[in-house]
Amino acid sequence: MEAPLITADTLVALIPEILALAFIAVVLLTEVFGSRSPNLSSGLAALGALALAGSATVLLAAGFEGSFFGDGYVVDGFALLFKILVGLVAFFSVLAAARWSARTGDTGEYMSLILAVALGASLLVSGRDLFVIFVSLELATIPSYAMVAFDRRRRESSEGGMKYLLTGVVASSVLLYGLVLIYGVTGSANLSEVAAAFTADLSPAALLGLVLFLSGVAFKLSVVPFHFWTPDAYQGAPTNAAAFLSVAPKMATFALLLRVLIEGMPETAQAYTWLFALLAILSMFAGNLFALRQTNLKRMLAYSSVAHSGYILAAFAALTGPALETAVQAVIVYAVAYAVMNLGAFFVVELVGEEGKSFNGLFRTQPALAVSMAVFMAALVGIPPLSGFWGKAWVIFATAQAGAWVVVGAVIINSVLSVPYYFGVIRSMFFEEPAGVGPVKDGSGALRFSIYAMAVFTVLFAFILGPLVLLAQAIGL
Amino acid sequence: MIPLEAYLVVGALLFAIGTYGALVRRNAVVVFMCVELMLNSVNLTLVSFADYLPGAMGAGAGYAILIIAVAAAEVAVGLAIVLAVFRARRTVNVDEINLMKR
Repeated sequence: MEAPLITADTLVALIPEILALAFIAVVLLTEVFGSRSPNLSSGLAALGALALAGSATVLLAAGFEGSFFGDGYVVDGFALLFKILVGLVAFFSVLAAARWSARTGDTGEYMSLILAVALGASLLVSGRDLFVIFVSLELATIPSYAMVAFDRRRRESSEGGMKYLLTGVVASSVLLYGLVLIYGVTGSANLSEVAAAFTADLSPAALLGLVLFLSGVAFKLSVVPFHFWTPDAYQGAPTNAAAFLSVAPKMATFALLLRVLIEGMPETAQAYTWLFALLAILSMFAGNLFALRQTNLKRMLAYSSVAHSGYILAAFAALTGPALETAVQAVIVYAVAYAVMNLGAFFVVELVGEEGKSFNGLFRTQPALAVSMAVFMAALVGIPPLSGFWGKAWVIFATAQAGAWVVVGAVIINSVLSVPYYFGVIRSMFFEEPAGVGPVKDGSGALRFSIYAMAVFTVLFAFILGPLVLLAQAIGL
Repeated sequence: MIPLEAYLVVGALLFAIGTYGALVRRNAVVVFMCVELMLNSVNLTLVSFADYLPGAMGAGAGYAILIIAVAAAEVAVGLAIVLAVFRARRTVNVDEINLMKR
């Protein structure tokens, strides 16, 4: 007799997602039936994000593992770690979005979109079935179109949303075609059975499927040559949406890519490390060179996120032999390091304004804010001992261990290349004359709390690093 | 009996036509129709794989229904955004929508 599809264990495995889904429903229903109080909605959403992260932490601490739904959905340490990260990123993003979304008058809708993206990302890191992967990827993507286009007072917002949408749906279709070809070649949608058909020597149909799948993933990660939507989408989006979308879905997509490559096609991944090296180098250079010319901070950070996707992808060039374990650690370390510094930088932009001018003389009007921004900028360059340095260090360890010296060189050259535009912001904060009295303080408590929390994590990252690496070693993949 | 390859070729052709349209057409709504064509060609490919592959046991048809549902969600959000752009700009031509600098 066949085992039942859903057991008590299945429900335990899905607790983080069930909680997130319940909070989405509660947030929406309070908006419909209760008072339209922005504080209540954002409070509930923050609680929902914490519930997602908290329940995943409990499952990880309890050592819960297993695979469910005919091996299509797997809960292991690796997945749980990324669920925790996604939940925490969503929590800080909700706090940072509270003030802005209260002004739109549609806090509940906006907050439920954030939670929906977090839910999709959290399902995504557990996917071991090609179609589970597709559906959760879309659950993380479709609400993000709405988030980008949410600001009705700025025409850039709906415009950025439309550009993101039209390119995004094409990319999703391409990704799906790739998945279906992989399914057709292997005869199974499960990654463990995909591995049997994906060897170093691919049939043309399998190669086409792989290329289409990787193109779709590269689009989601804004990796060159599929990065062109990023600047417009991030500049048009509400700043807090750009902050969240540049971190949470990307983290989850990197985790998904690791799982697909390591579980689904280990031999192919080894044979194609040159492809990841090439894409990583192109992304780093394109991101940094375009960022140099930007005066709009959101646009600059968008190109910077292209470059940072390149740095993380550089670790994928080391997915071979003995370097594999270090490469997985590098992706985890870099993802966390990038999350804290990039969220922080976007949050400051949310508070101060997106034009480069608005940062002039910020040190005189609001020193604490200026120092935090300086910390984020220095971390994005990779100055020790801030978070970005450790991320880059691990990527360099991994690629050096794999002997990919070209990639090591590109990472170092690009760190130098990125100095001018990050330090330009620091210079204008400390040495220019202030234009006005600085950003308004009213109601920015939660936002400021998020900024200072990110600044503390960025500065003290060295203390998180040890436990994080130990955890990454313990969970493996 | 029609061989599997015939279905796959039709699917690939439809996908190529849809991709071409999505890249070339300038009206956002027409781009959306092209994306629907792409998704449906994928569905055709998927269902024919599911029918011909040994041991697939009809699971492919279930996947196709998932894809149809996802496509519907995409269109719901997508048309809402296109409508928002139309209200603000009185046009859905993607060439005329260029507020932000390159």
